[in-house]
Amino acid sequence: MPEIKKYSEEELVYLLKERDQSAFSYLYDNYAAVLYGIIFKMLDNRELAEDVLQEAFVKIWNNFSNYDSIKGRLFTWMLNLTRNLTIDTIRSKGYKKQSKIQNSDNTVNNISDNTNTAESFDALGIRKHLTLLKNDQRQIIDLAYFGGFTQDEISKRLDIPLGTVKTRMRTAISELRKALKN
Amino acid sequence: MNKEDIISSGLLELYALGIASPEEQIQVEEGLRRYSEVKQELDAIELSLESYAQTYALEPSSKVKDKVLLQVAGNGLLNTHTAEQVKVRQISEGDSTFAGQKIYRIPTFFKIAAAAVLIALVCSIVLNYSYNAKYQSVKDQLDVAQEQIKESQQATVAMKDQLNVIGDKSALPIVLKGTAKEPDALAKIYWVKNSGDVYVDPTNLPSVPDGKQYQLWAIVDGKPVDAGMITTKKGIYHIQKMKSFGHAEAFAITLEKEGGSPTPTMDQMYVISKI
Repeated sequence: MPEIKKYSEEELVYLLKERDQSAFSYLYDNYAAVLYGIIFKMLDNRELAEDVLQEAFVKIWNNFSNYDSIKGRLFTWMLNLTRNLTIDTIRSKGYKKQSKIQNSDNTVNNISDNTNTAESFDALGIRKHLTLLKNDQRQIIDLAYFGGFTQDEISKRLDIPLGTVKTRMRTAISELRKALKN
Repeated sequence: MNKEDIISSGLLELYALGIASPEEQIQVEEGLRRYSEVKQELDAIELSLESYAQTYALEPSSKVKDKVLLQVAGNGLLNTHTAEQVKVRQISEGDSTFAGQKIYRIPTFFKIAAAAVLIALVCSIVLNYSYNAKYQSVKDQLDVAQEQIKESQQATVAMKDQLNVIGDKSALPIVLKGTAKEPDALAKIYWVKNSGDVYVDPTNLPSVPDGKQYQLWAIVDGKPVDAGMITTKKGIYHIQKMKSFGHAEAFAITLEKEGGSPTPTMDQMYVISKI
């Protein structure tokens, strides 16, 4: 039975820079599910999402020398990488052929829609992410964090003033930080 | 921008969400480098967003991990720090496709083969220098050996000559005894009756100093006559032919300067005989 080791962020980063196999395996075990959930949310296709997940982790490994811990946490870097890869996939010809709606706004629908999202329930059977944020806050955060849309773009797509976007975003994050403390 | 301004500007939130513009990124990164409070604030924002993202987590099928590990084993160098081993199959096909994109991978075999060839080449070059040095050394030794054989052959010829002379029945052996000056000196003359040929065997003469040479004299009608200079081959004395004489009363050897002297230096007489 292999010993269960928990790495701190610093340890993990150090070992990955050293090209450590077990650290990379650990990275996958701890982050694959969350990255997969986000990819799936955007693509709405399990098989395709798994392909993108595979490509994402290989890219994380190959480009790990680019990660600079001064600029932020490991997850932020991995998520940005994954998001860009997903967007490239959406824009590629292959995806457009497969998706039912031949429309780049498909992404927006996928991201802001809650019906097809991952079934993550807590003990009380309530979708966890629904309890954290209000709908309009969640929408803004999801479009930015998972979709990569700027505040300007969000303002245009949702047809709401830029100021409103900024306020909602600030409040949302403030709420999330409070939730984390509790 | 000071730290309070950066923190209150909302730029850190944009940066954490990954939607900051390039100019905004530069501002934030400068703040991160300068102020630890800015880094701490960013950290907190990132953690809250990470926690939020976790609520969307979904388990992928286990085959994805296998595929990932297979691919990275071919690309990067994986070190193992634990006993856990991941079995990796060789990738046989040269490329694969997904999502409309081709991925080209160099099969591990070719990478290993290339490394092996490179190592072999380096070893070959190193060995080349080593062997060349050895060859030179051996060649030099061979040259010396050949030289030695040549000398040895010459010595053998000389020895044969000496034996011939000594064995000749018509050769009269005459001993030249040491003088009062050099009582231990000794030389031999072989005087061939019919021809008058004179051979001297100077082997028991003391070594000659630099610039000097032994000279043989024949005493004819009471007067000394030059019979020739005694030569050595590499300092070794050997039987040698001197001038011929029909008759002589005595033979003597003196030490003269190199090249000889028209008349003998009497006080440098080493050996003398009486017929």
